[in-house]
Formats: sequence, structure tokens, C-alpha cells
Amino acid sequence: MAYFSGLSDVLRITFVQIMILSTIAIVIFLYGMMINFQKWGAGVTGYGLEPQEGTKGSAIRFLKTWWKQVTEESHHGHGKPILEVLILDIMFQRRILKRSPLRWFMHFTIFAGWMTLFALSGMMFAVEMTEKIGIELPFTPAEFRDILSIPNYIFGYVLLIGVIIAIVRRLFVSEVREASIMYDWTLIGVVFLVTISGFVADGIRTGIIWNFGLDPASAPPAALFHSVISLLFCIAYIPYSKYIHIIATPLAILANKGGE
Amino acid sequence: MAKRTPSIDTKNLTAVQLMELDSCTRCGECVKWCPTYAASGQKPGLAPRDKILRWKQYMNKSYGIKAKLFGPEEIPQSELEEFKDDVHGCTTCGICGTVCESGINTVELWEAMRANLVKKGIGPYGKQSMFPKLIGQYHNPYMKDQKDRLAWVPKDVKIENKADIVYFTGCTAGYNQLSLAFATSRVLNKLGIPFAMLGEEEWCCGSALIRTGQAHINDLPREIAKHNVEAIQKKGAKKVVFACAGCFRAAKVDWPRLLGKELPFEVIHITEFLAGLIKQDKIKWVKPINKTITYHDPCHLGRHVGVYDAPRYVLSHIPGVKFVEMDRVKEFQRCCGAGGGVKAGIPDLALGVAESRVKDALATDSDILSSACPFCKRNLSDGRDSLKVDLVVEDVIELVAEALGLSTEVPKAA
Repeated sequence: MAYFSGLSDVLRITFVQIMILSTIAIVIFLYGMMINFQKWGAGVTGYGLEPQEGTKGSAIRFLKTWWKQVTEESHHGHGKPILEVLILDIMFQRRILKRSPLRWFMHFTIFAGWMTLFALSGMMFAVEMTEKIGIELPFTPAEFRDILSIPNYIFGYVLLIGVIIAIVRRLFVSEVREASIMYDWTLIGVVFLVTISGFVADGIRTGIIWNFGLDPASAPPAALFHSVISLLFCIAYIPYSKYIHIIATPLAILANKGGE
Repeated sequence: MAKRTPSIDTKNLTAVQLMELDSCTRCGECVKWCPTYAASGQKPGLAPRDKILRWKQYMNKSYGIKAKLFGPEEIPQSELEEFKDDVHGCTTCGICGTVCESGINTVELWEAMRANLVKKGIGPYGKQSMFPKLIGQYHNPYMKDQKDRLAWVPKDVKIENKADIVYFTGCTAGYNQLSLAFATSRVLNKLGIPFAMLGEEEWCCGSALIRTGQAHINDLPREIAKHNVEAIQKKGAKKVVFACAGCFRAAKVDWPRLLGKELPFEVIHITEFLAGLIKQDKIKWVKPINKTITYHDPCHLGRHVGVYDAPRYVLSHIPGVKFVEMDRVKEFQRCCGAGGGVKAGIPDLALGVAESRVKDALATDSDILSSACPFCKRNLSDGRDSLKVDLVVEDVIELVAEALGLSTEVPKAA
């Protein structure tokens, strides 16, 4: 069976094998998130309190405490409506824009490119699944892949622009470079690797721009490499790295009602 | 072999605050704006993001995945002591929270870390450790006799036994900066506002204890809040007026939280109160002040509770005043350096920050640097003296008194 989300049966990586790899990535992700939720849940439930003797960190305690803070009135009178926070502070990332338009552009292009490509991959996967269970669609998965190719390119380049700005900033702006630690470098390095590997894999397959003169026969392993590192770094690695901010930052902004 | 226990615990740190540690993207905005980091000559440990990173590492060593699998990793006591010094080298001004792209409530995070360490026997810093004893014993941090709470009151000032309005003087204005108390009481009298005072029943607001992580010691702030609220209620107050930004913040934010309920009266800063009267055209100015005046937002009045416009409104309505703004005002204001126990604990650092703020004022060519907080006045005056520059530092209420033709001069015997 052809598998258009990045692999074909030329590679002999079957749908089942990719599903197993995805499942492993998701399990690693969920385990890491559980550890994080328990770590956060080792905190107390309110101002000035102490944890109960003998209790361990609990994911439920974290979620309850977070929700309580989201829904209670701000003591400082700074709170903004939740919808405004969701749209302007989380989706539009207003807090970054207020501080640095360049850094906002960098972060927003990475965010928009990354999330859109993720959504497009999900749509491709859904179409393949639909075909697999026998539901007829007005297009085949192959045709759908062609439909998605233009938005894939557009958002791929959107992502690449953000990644390049991030790397140039970190390498050439002295105050940023000097303050960078491995925690920061890993994040941007991995995003760069995943992005470039995606372009190269596609370039080898189509023979356009990013093939670097490589033999089209190397397209399947290139696609495999991209798929594996995407799954590992973009899903499994999130709870164990600076990627955790993808989850923790929106939660913090919501809990603090948009911040000060 | 005994099972290792984590070197840190999570007392006072809420589950949300522990998550906030992981939400920091290390963008560095907090570092750019932090006044103590700048005044310390950019001591790396004082950078807010560095403190977040270190506590995050402590949490991972104690409760993270490696700790789960192989047991907690020990954090040397010396490292925690060093962290204590750094977390107390902060005025809790809150600029780091204002500019934080992750929306972290940093002031509460620093206060929680301080309290956590104090509970562990690490900290507070220097003379700050005297606060619980002094405030517990004397009900003020200056070792003054409670009987002298109203000793400053001049004969011409009329204080009601009961009234709709109570003027909460605060320890600093009531004992050390009497001109502020003179100004506030005389202005209220002049405007025909009957007010009562708590006298011996006025206890320290508890701010110094809370800001320095010592709120749990003998549960003093809660006792203080309860006592003051009851004393205010006995005076029949519907509104409590504060001229001290620190006391105002404590009453508005800390007291309700400590008591677990809303206060049965309104709390208002004197500048808000006066702005309201000006809007109702109830103030008849007597004398112009032909000076250029700039205004420093106290952190506790501005960023902590959002009062920015009222003091400016008052100042700009005083006849003759040419009001000018400094660099870094309102939510992006530069702290005076006195808050968070830094004045008491690390006076040199407080002075360095104050000098920076005085330089901001000098850049505007102002004659007067005004504020609305006795702590700001004290520290900015120290900064001015240290720089040996010609600049008057006055509280807004003193300027209002002057424009109403009232004296704020403290008699030598007082």
C-alpha cells in the first residue's frame, strides 16, 4: 500500500511499521507528560500552603490547581477575558509582539509553519485512513497529496524563514549567543534539522531545488529519516526538553489571565 | 541504605508556579529590564531567567524523570545559600512579570521561593530576619511605642472618633516621615472630609513580612490583617485611604487573600481619592506651584495594582505645574530600589537602583521628582544625596498640601 505521509512501499516501511513508530513516540510523549504533570502536581494548591505529609506529586492536583487559577478572579485586577487571552496572547502571541517585532515574526512564522504542516500531515493521514477503511472520497490519496503540495511548500518556507532568523540571531547577536545554553541550542538545532530534512526529502523525490544532485533512489531513506526524527523530536522529545514550553507557556498565560 | 530525600521541597510553591518554571522560553526580556541586575553590574545570579532556570533544575534533580528512576540528586547547601542571596536581591518590582513573554507571575514566584527557603532555614537576608520579631513585638518595624501612633498629630488637625473614612497612616509616615502624615491629614481637613484614624490599634500592614518570605512565621500577617480589619470596622469605615503604596498593596491584595474573604470596606489610595474630588470640582487650589514636576510610579501602586493615572491627574491639575514624564514610566517604570526588603537587607543595591532612577528624573530637567510612597521618597532622596544633585523629592500629597496653602513642615520637637 502506498503511504503518502512521507514513505512509500519502495522503502519497505509499511504502514504498520510507521504506526508502531508513531505509537512509540506517543507513548514516550505521554510518559514524559505524566512525569511533568506529577512534578508540577508536587506543588501546593493555593497561596502560602504546604504539601500534605506523605503525598506525592499528582497530575490531577496540577490540573485542578491550574483550572482553579484560570477561573478565579485576579487579586491584582489585571485579568483579561479568557477568549481575548486565547486569541491574542496564545494564538497571535501578542506578548512577544509587544516586546520585539522581529522576535515575534521569528516565533510566529515557526509557530504558524510548524502547526500548519502538522495539521496538513494529519489531514493526509486522515485521507489515507479513510481510504483504508473503504470510504470513498472524491479524490485518491495520491491526488490529495498533490493538492496539499502547494500549502506544504508555502508553510514549509514560512517555517524555514523563522528557523533561519532564529539561528542567525543565536549565532550572530552577541547578547543572545552569550546567554545561550545547550537547553536553547538543542531546541533550535532540532527544529532546523527536521525542517531541512523535510525539504531535502521532498527535493530528492521531486528533483526540485533541494535535491542537491542526489540520486532519486535515495528519496525513500531521506523520507524515512525525516519521518523518524519528526516523530521522535516533534512528539516524543517534547516533555524532556525546551519544547515543553509549547505546552507550559499557553497554560501559564491562561492561568495568569494574559499575564501582567 | 536510607532512601535519599529531595534537597528541596515544594512548600509555598503552587502547582501552577512549578509549571511556570517550564514555561520560561529564556527570551531574556526580564534580564534587559531588571533594575537590580543592572544596578549590581549585571551579576548573573540576579537575572530573573537565571533564577527560574536554577529552580527548574532543582525541581528536575528532585522530582524529574532521573529522580524518579534513580533517586533525587543532592543539591549542595552552599548552592541553595547562594540562590537565597540572589532571590532576595530583588525588589519584587514586577517588571520581569510585565515583560515576560510567557506571562509568568514573577513577583509571586519570587515570594514563594523566598518563603520556601525561609521555611527550610535558609534566609531571609541580613536585617530582614528582624521583621517578625519587631513587628510581632512592637506592631511596627521601627521599635516605636504603639502609644505614640498619633503623637505626631498637630493641634490643628481634627480627627473623628468614628467616620465613613479612615486614614491608615502606615508605620513609615506615622513615625519617620511625618510630613506625609501632616500633609494627608491637613488636606483631608481642608477639603472638609471627616476621617478617623486607628491610633494604637493601627498595626503594621505586614507587607515587609510577606515580601521577604516570612509570612508564615507565627502567622503574623494573617493576625495583623484580621486585627486591622476589625479595628477599621470598629471605626465605622466604608472607605480606607492610604498614602503609603506598600500598605495600600497589602490591604488591597494581601489582606483579602490572607483572610480568605473580601474586605468589608473599600480601600483607596489618596491619589485616587483626590483625583475623584478634582473631577467633582471639589478642590479649590490656593497657591500655584510654578515648577517642572515628574512622577515616579511606586511599584506597589502601579504594576502591583494598576494605579497609574490618578497621581498624574492630580499633579497635572495643580496650578502652575508643568508635568513631564521620565523614561520608563507606568507599567514599564524603573523601580526606586527600596522594595522587597532590599532597602533593609542590601542597602547598597537599593542605593544603586535609586541613583539610576534619579538620573532618569534629571534627564527631564525637572525641579521636583514626585512619588506616592514613603519608601520611594526615602530611597530616591538617598539616591539624590548620593549623586549630590539639585533635585527636590516630594510626595504627591505634600505637593497637594502646598497648593492648598497648607504647611507640611515638621516641628523640631515632633
